[in-house]
Amino acid sequence: MALPLTYHWRNLFVRKTTTVLTVLVITSVVSVFAYMLGFSESLQHSLSVARDPHKLIVLKSGATAESNSAIPVDEYNKLSQVTNVARDEATGQVLVSPEMMVQVSLPRLRDGGRTNANVAVRGVTLDAFRIHPNIRPLGRIFSTAEREVIVGLAAAQQFAGLQIGDTINLGYGADRAYKVVGHFSADGGPMESEIWGYLPSLMNSYNRTMYSSANLRLADGSDARQIIGQIEGPAIQLAAQTEEEYWESQSRLMKVYLFVAYLLVAIMSLAAVFAIANTMFSVVAGRSRELAMLRTIGFSSAQILLGLVIEAVMLALVGGMLGCVACWAWLQAVGNTKDMFGATTFTTMAFKIQMTPLLIAKALGLVVVVGVIGALVPALRAARMQVVTALREP
Amino acid sequence: MSTVDIELRKVRKVYFKDRLEIPVLEGLDLTIAAGEFVVLMGPSGSGKSTLLHLIGGLDSATGGSVRVGDAHLEKMSERERTAWRSRHVGFIFQMYHLVPVLTAAQNVELPLLLFSMSSSQRKERVRTALEVVGLSDRADHRPNQLSGGQEQRVAIARAIVTDPDVILADEPTGDLDAKTSEEILELLNLLNSEFGKTILMVTHDPRAASHGQRTVHLDKGVLDREELNPARPRGAAAMVS
Ligand SMILES: Nc1ncnc2c1ncn2[C@@H]1O[C@H](COP(=O)(O)OP(=O)(O)O)[C@@H](O)[C@H]1O
Ligand SMILES: [Mg+2]
Repeated sequence: MALPLTYHWRNLFVRKTTTVLTVLVITSVVSVFAYMLGFSESLQHSLSVARDPHKLIVLKSGATAESNSAIPVDEYNKLSQVTNVARDEATGQVLVSPEMMVQVSLPRLRDGGRTNANVAVRGVTLDAFRIHPNIRPLGRIFSTAEREVIVGLAAAQQFAGLQIGDTINLGYGADRAYKVVGHFSADGGPMESEIWGYLPSLMNSYNRTMYSSANLRLADGSDARQIIGQIEGPAIQLAAQTEEEYWESQSRLMKVYLFVAYLLVAIMSLAAVFAIANTMFSVVAGRSRELAMLRTIGFSSAQILLGLVIEAVMLALVGGMLGCVACWAWLQAVGNTKDMFGATTFTTMAFKIQMTPLLIAKALGLVVVVGVIGALVPALRAARMQVVTALREP
Repeated sequence: MSTVDIELRKVRKVYFKDRLEIPVLEGLDLTIAAGEFVVLMGPSGSGKSTLLHLIGGLDSATGGSVRVGDAHLEKMSERERTAWRSRHVGFIFQMYHLVPVLTAAQNVELPLLLFSMSSSQRKERVRTALEVVGLSDRADHRPNQLSGGQEQRVAIARAIVTDPDVILADEPTGDLDAKTSEEILELLNLLNSEFGKTILMVTHDPRAASHGQRTVHLDKGVLDREELNPARPRGAAAMVS
């Protein structure tokens, strides 16, 4: 049997200052790590939803996002010539969803409306619900005869004035009051952060004559590259990409942020390793006679090594748990939603960062690794010490 | 009753410092009978602690043989010596070496953690050991709540809790006043006479030496003389059995 855990636990409180400092270092590493991890997991989830392989997004050639794309109606009409795409069973026409994207600045709920952020407003026709099958209206959708909108759940949770019955102003004209008549879900994908209304009505309110994008679905068994070739070919002068490609490029900036954040976490973890190592070196130096006594009464060098690693891991876990609590408290204080700006759209994509058990387990896992690595060198030194030399120390 | 004797033959111990040989023990012979209480005296730096460490298997001799009971230490690996030590030897140090964060009872329990024993069996053994040293009422005290003499008693309880054959004490009263020293020495005497422990005790104090049955003097790497204590005839304990 190894040394009792109480022995290690109580020793943590002997060197109060070092323990507190080490714990603080680890707490900060873990809180940042947990936050970044939560963020990246929500982002991954959101993007995994926006990954319909049968959907194509058509933009003006050269446009990088819907917000800087403008498709003239006569160019749009040429899309009816495209082959190998899904068609309306009744009419035999190419199934295509013309869409217009604008932004509206709305007050954020998370800071009590002190700051605003841009929310995407999408004008669509009723065909849009066939092109985007994961959009599920909760309740009724906008009427084509009235100025009405439906609001994605994530947008409704993050911004003020988007509850059913509320009215928001969209566009520039006199009659620009739109009534929120329903909400919709999009499996947690990016569209859940949008406001949808009837395309002709919104184009009118915003004085637009061109569409932002057109969306198509592939026919069964057809090849996306082949269809993109048709759209980008000489007959039609537009650009197309799959939904997955589109959102990958939209989230590229965010991925760079995440990479930098993880780099930061890695550097901080290294600092934590050194903090643990430093603490354990002083433990080994300060307790060398005690450790020699333990060897004298029969504890093996392997048991001493294990004991010191356990002690370091305990220390790290205290920091790790505090870090998770700090992260959780932070999310409670500032709200657990986070905006993501598209690389070029500057509209928000809403996230919920959640402290899931898996996330906590990953954070504590990191901490255990940090503790073990930090303890290794000092613990090996202690295990290799000469018992008789240490016993003679004054 | 213990039947463990100790036999050292031509024991050499050389330390190396900066490639320089520092001879400490140079062909030392010593025989300690089973159940004997031997006192080891000698000038500071003469190698008394070194000798104790060799008998306890904490260090290995450069030459010669060290036998404790049927354990031939010079033939054992460090790992084997460590395992053997936990069962057969109890160490007592001048500075007690108690773990400050553990209670007296938890300190005494430490060596038992290496045995396969139930928690209640361990508690029972600890209780008995603390009873023998007269500290049953201090079981839950931390070392800093105890006097020096009490700390040494706890250390003795820790040394005997595994019921070892041999007790090696390195200046156990070196840090205690005369009265407390006397109590500790009485306790060692009791362990020797009542429990049959073979004891080797290092001391500088002639009065402490008077508790042993025999005193051996270490000087210049060998035992140069010994005297028997007429007040405590040799083998008295052994004769009881
Ligand atoms: N690790 C070591 N390296 C070199 N010399 C040592 C070492 N340990 C002990 N010595 C030397 O061995 C001699 C005997 O030491 P020790 O057994 O502690 O003596 P005593 O206990 O009789 O005072 C001393 O001269 C001491 O300096
Ligand atoms: Mg000494």
